[in-house]
Amino acid sequence: MRIAVLVKEVPATDKVKMDEKTGTMIRSGMESELNPLDMYAVEEAVRIKEKFENVHVVAISMGPPQAVNSLKEAISMGCDDGYLMSDKNFAGSDTLATAYALSAAIQKLGNFDLIFTGERATDGETGQVGPSVATQLGIPVVTYVSKIEKISDEFVRVCRSIEGGKETVEVELPALLSVVKEINEPRIPNLAGKIASKSKKVPLLTANDIEVILDKVGLSGSPTRVVKVFYPKLSRDGKIIKVRDLESAVNELVEFMKQKGVI
Amino acid sequence: MIEFAKITTRLVTEFKKILGNNAVVFDDKDALENYAHDETGGEYYSHMPEIVLKPENAEQISKVLKLASAEHVPVTPRGAGSGLAGASVPIYGGIVISFERMNKIVEIDKTNLVAVTEPGVVTNDLCRKVSELGLYYAGYPMSVETSFIGGNVATNAGGSKVIKYGNTAHHVLGIEAVLPNGEIVQFGGKRRKDSSGYDIVRLLVGSEGTLAVFTKIFLNLIPLPGKTVDLLVPFPDIHTAISNVGPLITESKTLPSAVEFIDDTSVVLGSKYNNIRLPYQEKADAYLIVQYEGHDRDELESIYEKAGKALMNGKAMDVFVADNRTNSEKIWRIRRNWLEGIKAFESHTPTGDVVVPTSKIPEIMEYIAKISKEYKVQIPVAGHAADGNLHPAPMKPKDVNLGEWKELSEEILSKIAIKASKMGGAVSGEHGIGFVKKELLKKTKNKQYELMKSLKKTIDPLGIMNPGKLFDPQ
Repeated sequence: MRIAVLVKEVPATDKVKMDEKTGTMIRSGMESELNPLDMYAVEEAVRIKEKFENVHVVAISMGPPQAVNSLKEAISMGCDDGYLMSDKNFAGSDTLATAYALSAAIQKLGNFDLIFTGERATDGETGQVGPSVATQLGIPVVTYVSKIEKISDEFVRVCRSIEGGKETVEVELPALLSVVKEINEPRIPNLAGKIASKSKKVPLLTANDIEVILDKVGLSGSPTRVVKVFYPKLSRDGKIIKVRDLESAVNELVEFMKQKGVI
Repeated sequence: MIEFAKITTRLVTEFKKILGNNAVVFDDKDALENYAHDETGGEYYSHMPEIVLKPENAEQISKVLKLASAEHVPVTPRGAGSGLAGASVPIYGGIVISFERMNKIVEIDKTNLVAVTEPGVVTNDLCRKVSELGLYYAGYPMSVETSFIGGNVATNAGGSKVIKYGNTAHHVLGIEAVLPNGEIVQFGGKRRKDSSGYDIVRLLVGSEGTLAVFTKIFLNLIPLPGKTVDLLVPFPDIHTAISNVGPLITESKTLPSAVEFIDDTSVVLGSKYNNIRLPYQEKADAYLIVQYEGHDRDELESIYEKAGKALMNGKAMDVFVADNRTNSEKIWRIRRNWLEGIKAFESHTPTGDVVVPTSKIPEIMEYIAKISKEYKVQIPVAGHAADGNLHPAPMKPKDVNLGEWKELSEEILSKIAIKASKMGGAVSGEHGIGFVKKELLKKTKNKQYELMKSLKKTIDPLGIMNPGKLFDPQ
């Protein structure tokens, strides 16, 4: 069985800053890391490899040259190989163009039975790339996967988290699964894994290597236009309730909330 | 026994004149209760203040202390209330001076590499602010998110980075303080050398509010280290874990910025509380958490490879490497939330704070295990392995009532502290003496105790400054 895990390098911060003029993310001076939600996808793929024989796990990422560090992290967690798609033609790709390029790389590397992605990346927060890759490859996609119940050479049965409950879905392979946090606890790589990943070569894939139509990647292949980016303005209208005892404070607060139509 | 005067309505009026109405809390039980305790571990350690004052500057404090001296009213300075020995608890009532309004970073002097702060600045706020300028404040108590700089200085707080940077005393260059008679004096300042007479700054650090009220603190800054890597290392037993600390430092040829220790009970409770599992959780008896700082990724790789190999040669079960934010947070969460994790299961958990030579950690751990068995009390332990500072935390058994538990837990912690002292250690490594450990101080530091008392008498002849802390009122 061959498994691909699609991973992304993201800024290592909870506060992504946007340039309001250009509409792009400010990445300069920012530390980067493997998208934390992709770690669950890597972990699940590696667990399958550890459970069954003849499973080969390949991590694939599209990004700038330094994204090799995230692929090495995936390798140190147990992936067998990593491929980095890096080319100036890819710059400015939106989710559609990224998914197109990734699906081309997957086809080029060939014969994957399962493709894992994280739920979304913590920078863009769209969660669109995984399902879009599946669509472009013409294979089934199951999102919000919280448990793999059964897996064979022909199909996979998974449990997915849905609003208000769980849903069990069985799909034929090849398929793409986007996983949620509940699925596992990603491992911290050990020393042996780190040392092995250091010497592991991560091949670079260019637009030419994966034979994409150049008009379908990068800015020209991206129909998404960021028209305007702005930070929501928060303003607060404070009111201090001055009373001596707790009971009258609570009464006044309740009255205030009624006036505002909150309760 | 000294008798102190009570707060009168006349004094309240005077204080309101000095500080303004909003800076005085009086005759409001709910509001005063917030200042009656710290994190020592049981409501039985609480004492109500008669009045809480929230000054904004040294001049106001000077006027308050002049009045307190004249009227003979006790004064207890209070930082964030995150102390663990009761130093900020007003056991003789009187005035609590809270620094919540004196929370300004007065200056960050990039030329002299000095930060000047008021005592009420939260430690992490200072760390964040100086880091924006590429600088680093190396004082790092584990309560970094809550503790105030003033409290750190008053207790000579330690934390996880002492092995590399030293405790709070190493970072304090000067203190502006108000003496009990109301005089405002600056000791030390923006200078790193001063061999002109006794070092009063060092005397004030760790004085727990018994000598003077701090109003400004001058702190040493250094360049910000670039990156960090954290290693999580499970061991089959405590002996093996501790025997690795020395070789780890010599083999990696680099001083780690932290070598922390957690025992198996702490890991079980901590993983439940934090909802995470650590590798080897069922098999390991002890873990070390090791942190290194470096300029770049390559330097850190080289350091952790050397350190990791040394640890594997030292019979570590494995070495896990976190060189990104997500994994580092996973490793540190259990250690940082250690006490909260235990208190979630048993809130009546006082925390011991003993220090021994690092080589003696296995011996004191054996003793703690013996005491745990003898008293039938679970005692999880965490601490700073590289500097021999351990925190045993006895958890109240379900069948012991609160009254009995206060006595019992104090007996347990006293035995452990005395044992530590006999091993060449001390009864407090970083939390201070407060009032919960004053008997232990007397028992274990005879000569120093008398000398400390006479110093106290010289600086605070009326004994109004935080009475009942370190010693009984004289």
